Amino acid sequence: MGEPNGKQVSVPAPKAILVVEDDVLIRLTIADDLIAAGFNVIQAASADEALKVLRSIVSVDLILTDIRMPGSFDGLGLAEQVRAGWPDLKIVVLSGGLPAIPPFNLADAFLSKPYDFSAILAVVKQLLGV
Amino acid sequence: MTTSDVTSTTNEAVQTVLVVEDEILVRCQIAAYLRDCGYRVIEAVHADEALIVLQQPDLDVHVVMSDVEMPGSIDGFGLARWVRSERPGLPIILCGSAAKAADAAADLCEDGPTLTKPYEPQALLDRIRRLLAGVGDRISVS
Repeated sequence: MGEPNGKQVSVPAPKAILVVEDDVLIRLTIADDLIAAGFNVIQAASADEALKVLRSIVSVDLILTDIRMPGSFDGLGLAEQVRAGWPDLKIVVLSGGLPAIPPFNLADAFLSKPYDFSAILAVVKQLLGV
Repeated sequence: MTTSDVTSTTNEAVQTVLVVEDEILVRCQIAAYLRDCGYRVIEAVHADEALIVLQQPDLDVHVVMSDVEMPGSIDGFGLARWVRSERPGLPIILCGSAAKAADAAADLCEDGPTLTKPYEPQALLDRIRRLLAGVGDRISVS
């Protein structure tokens, strides 16, 4: 992209969000909405898949995870691993059944189901500063 | 049917590709590539998820691109048989390796609703290889 004076303007790469959700239809809905909002979205169906992405060279800015999922560990277990291994990564936990006292140290935000995309988008934008 | 047959007549509308692949590092790269080419992409981890998607009356799918070997109740061949029986006319591309998947994605981008084609299929495959090498996977990419 060029300006009238010929200077090149560098367009920042879209922020990348890793959506971790085992229900394919919910995952699709969240991903479609985030893509429409201009984010890059990587979709994982389990915490194990999410960790595989994080351990690869794929760049991730924020992780949006459900709590209840099959696999080696659930969303809170994933958040624990992420906090330990990638402390700068923003974490948003989404769930239909949040613990009475959410473990606030594990995530930057907790949102409850049913999903309200405007609430998700507001939190994501705030955490990513976009 | 080739991917050209699938996409050549309907370039105007956004088409949806259902990508069925259990290896996330392959799936996410193929999906990103197809999105860059202008497709809407639905990602399924295995055939069981694909069947859930295909049975949603409000979800239009124009092409299914599936791995052959997958965990779950049916594999890619089983999914193809289901599609042939229950959704005749819906094209399904079976890919036995990441290389085949990269080729199929490139074919779709060549013939379909291309926004941009940011990199060659070989670059896509190279990136998948680097990703898989980085995590010690033993998936077939050749």
